[in-house]
Amino acid sequence: MITRQEMQKAADFIRNHVKADDFNFSIGGAEELFTRFAQNGITQHIAGDKINVNLNVSFENKTGEASSNNLKEDALKHLIKTAESMAKLNQPDPEFVASEPAHDLPDVDNFSRKTADLKVEKIVDDILKCVKNAEGKNAKLSGISEKRIQNSFLTTKNGFEGFDQSTSFAHSMTMKREGVETKVSRSVKDHSKFNLDELIGQLNSQFGSLKNPVQIETGKIPVILRPAAVLNWLFYLIWTYDRRTADEGHTPFTDQIGKQFFGKDFTFRSRLDDPDLEASKFDNGGIPAENIDWIENGVIKNMSADRYYARQNNLKALRPYNIIVEGGETSEAEMMRIVKRGVIVNNFWYIRPVDRKTGEWTGLTRDGVLYFEDGKIQKSLTNFRWNEILHKATKRILALGPVVQQEYYAKIPTLLIDDFNFIDVTTF
Amino acid sequence: MDFLSLAMNTAKSLGADYADIRIQRSSTEMIFLRNLSLKNTSLNEIYGYGIRVFKNGAWGFAHNNVFTEDAINKTVKKALVIAKESGRVKYGNGLTLAHERGYIDSYKTPFNLDPFDVPLSEKVEMMMGTNKTMLSFAEIKRAVFMLECRKDEKLFASTLGSRLDLQTLYIEPTITATAVTETDSQSRTFSQGGQARGWEWVQSLNLADKAVQISEEAIMKVHAGSLGAEERKTLLLDPNHMALTMHESVGHPTELDRVLGWEADFAGISFATPEKIGNFQYGSKIVNFVANNKLEGGLATAGYDDEGVPNQKWYIIKDGILQEYGNTRATAPIIGLEMSRGCNRATNYFDFPINRIPNLYLEPGKELLTPQELIADTDNGIYIEGRGSFSIDQHRVNFQFGGDMFWEIKNGKKVRPLKKILYKSNNPEFWNSVDAICDDRSFQTFGVTNCGKGQPGQRGRMTHGGSLARFRNIRVGGSQ
Ligand SMILES: [Zn+2]
Repeated sequence: MITRQEMQKAADFIRNHVKADDFNFSIGGAEELFTRFAQNGITQHIAGDKINVNLNVSFENKTGEASSNNLKEDALKHLIKTAESMAKLNQPDPEFVASEPAHDLPDVDNFSRKTADLKVEKIVDDILKCVKNAEGKNAKLSGISEKRIQNSFLTTKNGFEGFDQSTSFAHSMTMKREGVETKVSRSVKDHSKFNLDELIGQLNSQFGSLKNPVQIETGKIPVILRPAAVLNWLFYLIWTYDRRTADEGHTPFTDQIGKQFFGKDFTFRSRLDDPDLEASKFDNGGIPAENIDWIENGVIKNMSADRYYARQNNLKALRPYNIIVEGGETSEAEMMRIVKRGVIVNNFWYIRPVDRKTGEWTGLTRDGVLYFEDGKIQKSLTNFRWNEILHKATKRILALGPVVQQEYYAKIPTLLIDDFNFIDVTTF
Repeated sequence: MDFLSLAMNTAKSLGADYADIRIQRSSTEMIFLRNLSLKNTSLNEIYGYGIRVFKNGAWGFAHNNVFTEDAINKTVKKALVIAKESGRVKYGNGLTLAHERGYIDSYKTPFNLDPFDVPLSEKVEMMMGTNKTMLSFAEIKRAVFMLECRKDEKLFASTLGSRLDLQTLYIEPTITATAVTETDSQSRTFSQGGQARGWEWVQSLNLADKAVQISEEAIMKVHAGSLGAEERKTLLLDPNHMALTMHESVGHPTELDRVLGWEADFAGISFATPEKIGNFQYGSKIVNFVANNKLEGGLATAGYDDEGVPNQKWYIIKDGILQEYGNTRATAPIIGLEMSRGCNRATNYFDFPINRIPNLYLEPGKELLTPQELIADTDNGIYIEGRGSFSIDQHRVNFQFGGDMFWEIKNGKKVRPLKKILYKSNNPEFWNSVDAICDDRSFQTFGVTNCGKGQPGQRGRMTHGGSLARFRNIRVGGSQ
């Protein structure tokens, strides 16, 4: 895969040949291996290196951007020509911002040698082990193992230069037999911290708890959301958690900055110093990552903002680079005793906005739903549809479990939430 | 020797049972304009090749962007090595490939004006004008114009002897106006999705007029009322809206790979299982769904799919009964079919082709019926235009849809605009509730360019279509 030296050489070429007033030049390289399996057999297997070369130039405040997957000099010349001619033909951008100057970058290590050295034979061995486990249960297994090594490089006319190298390994699997299907997934930056046996154990435990799902009536009921479900929801919160759209009146967060808008038990951060989590050192505009408190005890502390809006409003340009939700100490067994009855949800599916202004979302449950009463799991349930104003749901958090590493970029607890609004059921 | 022949010869000499190579250059121009600020004006070009090797019933796929004999040979070898690794965890007794022959052919999307030849300044000027029109309405606080033009040039060769030269093109203009009041924000969009047509199509859309219309409707919508609790009502769904419902509730469940469980870990599976073929009442007797990868302007129309199978036309649902799936060479034999319907498509050169929805549309009604006549024939109902909130379960049974614009119909007339409307239904109730479909005079098509599927995820495209149709007794109400 492409080295830092090759990236530097291309950057020097760009610097020497760009005639525009300003530029932002980035290179992303990746070496990837995707081993996908379904119905207990490998159905797809992809290997290769990718590269993305991107040049954004401007003449005064007229901008143009070109990208390609080629670092040869001819290709770079073509890239410059394309971006510059686009900028010349363009109209002025009233929201133009000059490129970033040099910044000190945080000292973060996103690279793992163990992950980088992982061989296809080992990945296939592990998949075989997972498949054998499923076959032992007369079940079918589908999923994917993904290995990635990434290099990213960014330089600007005004002196920014940054390089980052990261690794990740992800493994997910869905086990299905007749009416029972459930999924586990995990990703890590360091493969030596990936515990396959533990993940198979979690899969077997989820699978074993699900039997002959039955329908119950819909309505508001306490719910134990396991970490995968909570994270799935957070992606959608983050999608709309933008300062400008809030200020312009499009989301429920309008005029709520600094206020107790979420439940007091809800705290969400991005952190540089968690050794398990990736924290890319800078974003595509050259803003260095820093520790960010997004929501603290329910109070909106910071929201995402781009460089233009931040400068315009005296804010910091921010984006979530990893996701940490503060947890508690309540175990799932204890949660089942806090409320008389409720459901346990492994994951959500197909979350979509119903109304961006009120913050109402819809979605379904997935990967297994359990009903508990009097502190004990009583039966498996078919899946529900829910329509819920999610920020209001955080005000009904009754208990939080310990945080677990769900992905290489996320640590998430289990949440017990009262009165979750299940409005429909499906047939399975 | 040319690279295509080199790759195929190397694959054969190394013992591949089957191999193909796809050299692909993809060019995408994006212009994103928001409130007169050009958030993105870019041209992306990626060029490379992907090689599939099939060995002992298992696949390996490797990609590269270096065009030398040495790199080609290494890429073939890499694909073969991982195909052999795949063979250690075989699918059943190994996959087999449906019968196919080699073709020497070419295809090019027909168009007059290449959008890549239209000067950027001309596009931006047109977009700025549209944006200004929208912002001239006091309550329109956000005006967006997004324009995407994409061209794919592919050379394909397989060990069956195929040599294909395929060029496709599409354009997708989308304009959105958002009206904001003290308490609400509501938007209205004009889009026909992507269409495989030239720039002359964009010129024919009268976007300046559309900008006025959607601005007025966004303002109407932000001040509109909603419905109360859910009730069973009649729905009239316009073709733009139905494009999305059919995509989700007919297109995806009839992809054979989903049916077989190949997408179980992510996109999901399907309720429309093989024993239902030929007997399952998917829709009412007037419901006919046609798969047509030869459709003019269709986004899946490309001459051949990405494993060299010719484009075809067939029924997915005929007289309401499930007939067939969309499938690929590796999936078709699993349910006993001899030939593939040619639905294996990849997005970029580095993507492995996967089972995709074909161009798929609801056939127009056979009896003469205009939208005006259908509205006049409806006592009490909701008319839904465009695409809004949508969510469907992973077996493709239970779904909830919103829309982009809603009108209440009373005694055969549109009486008032509405907002925040949702309906809930499921398969097979939904398509069985259809009791009227307008005729082909109002047939329209809509391209989908962002169909997310696969692991790693790919962005697929296809075209849907229909005429205004009436659905009876559907659960509909206002959101919270
Ligand atoms: Zn789709």
